[in-house]
Amino acid sequence: MPRAMLSAQREQRYRAGLEAALDGGFALLASGGSSLDAVGAAVRILEDDPCFNAGHGAALTRDGAAELDAAIMDGRQLRAGAVASVRHVRNPIELARRVMEKSRHVLLVGAGAEEFALEEGLALVPNHYFRIAERQEQLESEQRGARVSDLLPAAQGTVGAVALDGEGNLAAATSTGGMTNKRPGRVGDSPIIGAGTYAKNGVCAVSATGHGEYFIRAVAAHHVCAAVEYRALSLEQAVRELLHGILPALGGDGGLIAVGGDGRIVMDFSTEGMFRGARDSAGKREIAIY
Amino acid sequence: MSRPKLLALLCLAVAVAPAHALEPPPLAIAIHGGAGVIDPAKMTPQHAASYRAGLAAALDAGYAILERGGSSLDAVTAAVRIMEDDPQFNAGRGAVLNHDGDAELDAAIMDGHGPRAGAVAGVRHVKNPVELARLVMEKSPHVLLVAEGAEEFALEQGVVLVRREYFRTEARVRELEEARRQAGELKAAAPGPTGTVGAVALDRAGHLAAATSTGGLTDKHRGRVGDSPIIGAGTYADDDSCAVSGTGQGEFFIRQVVAHDICALVQYRHLALAQAVRELIHEKLRRTGGEGGVIAVDRSGNIAMDFNSVGMFRGARDSRGRRDIAMYRDAK
Repeated sequence: MPRAMLSAQREQRYRAGLEAALDGGFALLASGGSSLDAVGAAVRILEDDPCFNAGHGAALTRDGAAELDAAIMDGRQLRAGAVASVRHVRNPIELARRVMEKSRHVLLVGAGAEEFALEEGLALVPNHYFRIAERQEQLESEQRGARVSDLLPAAQGTVGAVALDGEGNLAAATSTGGMTNKRPGRVGDSPIIGAGTYAKNGVCAVSATGHGEYFIRAVAAHHVCAAVEYRALSLEQAVRELLHGILPALGGDGGLIAVGGDGRIVMDFSTEGMFRGARDSAGKREIAIY
Repeated sequence: MSRPKLLALLCLAVAVAPAHALEPPPLAIAIHGGAGVIDPAKMTPQHAASYRAGLAAALDAGYAILERGGSSLDAVTAAVRIMEDDPQFNAGRGAVLNHDGDAELDAAIMDGHGPRAGAVAGVRHVKNPVELARLVMEKSPHVLLVAEGAEEFALEQGVVLVRREYFRTEARVRELEEARRQAGELKAAAPGPTGTVGAVALDRAGHLAAATSTGGLTDKHRGRVGDSPIIGAGTYADDDSCAVSGTGQGEFFIRQVVAHDICALVQYRHLALAQAVRELIHEKLRRTGGEGGVIAVDRSGNIAMDFNSVGMFRGARDSRGRRDIAMYRDAK
């Protein structure tokens, strides 16, 4: 989102949404909750907020439907759950957590994932629950334009959270509607463990946003963790190398948030801006866009 | 001062040229037809001979492409395609059946040059999923397409879809019935690894490639996707490190990002390929409980094939004269 296009009023809405998610997640950590619960809660709040491209207010496919992807990972035992291409699950991040905790699988896609949601007693919602007028307008303007929409990510706004709890456990979660005007069935990096989402205790937890295909090829989230673990790079260095070295060389851009085993937070991006927030027990609390 | 230096360099270049001519760049290919598929006690000589023949056909077809100067990408595609068409293996025709009695197929391919990748998951009417994965890589801006959307793309690319019956073999129907019977008796028993197929190769230009294709787990939940089509988990290739294809309990391979982790250990920890593979298969996977194996090749043409299951159907061939097919631990 170019700076010029964001009105002061809109910016206020984004900031308020980010604050609600940040404080919702941090409150759980402060009361002794797990990082897994904290990232789940933060992402759920962003999914419900129509400002962001996840859950309610997700970007639309070329057929005008919302198709959602999400993943969650527990750094303690490297457990993970993910769903892709679901169309009727109100909070995909909750379904991803159920996949992790109630199935022997990691990734469920399409109608099969929704079948599992029903087996778990989750109520499905009609697809129009996710669709808002603004996304419809974005889709139409993309479709009127040159046929570059498959190539260029527009109206991103994937949401994600990473956290470290009092027991030293790391967790990461990511949720998205993907690209506006995407081909039905296209899956980006968000639900791919190692690409858009990864967490490993003592190393780092990562959630990414950006041009998903490049993050998949670079195995971006795991690359950051491997650079920290195997090359003893600092988390900042590992993230910088990925976002400003490896991904641009492939032709991709985007950003990510990461937290290290020591609680150090890194938020970096190669795009003009990234909606983000950070809060820790040392008193840091910030919301930023550019 | 600078002129004699230059001359010395030129002489050196002339002197080493014949040595290079004697040693052409290495070629290597390795394939797998699944880990832990069949208890050796139940393997009849006829079955063993038949599996070996299937593996040999895929191995030699892939190697022939490398030998005549073809790309590693073409070699792994050809090898995997042959195993997809062979009903003995759990990929393409003869894939295992999901809970609803359908074959639901996943595949991925990665070109270490780029690198670039393509993958499909949850397709039910595509005869050769590895070819569709390659079309995703070459003809779309995407990496992963799933389910009906992937089949829509197949149709747009002129791929003819086949009936679901094409994939279903009598042997797989019996296996599904058996699995359902067992599931009724002892709930929550984790299914063993199955016969996913894959190939990795190094070509004359020094490019690495990997491809994997599978029907997943017998009696799996509809929509379940394992590690095969997940770039970094079951399939990965990067010209700077190595190419890997995995087979086994996919959920564990996804959680450990096995294929990418092996390459990261090679590239960043400077482990030998065999050591990196050992670390993943016998240390890291063992710790979380995952069973299976991988095949891998590095940029020097070293091949590693290792597993922590009863066996892994596998084959390797290279330009140093190696050609072997094996099924169990003792290379038999």
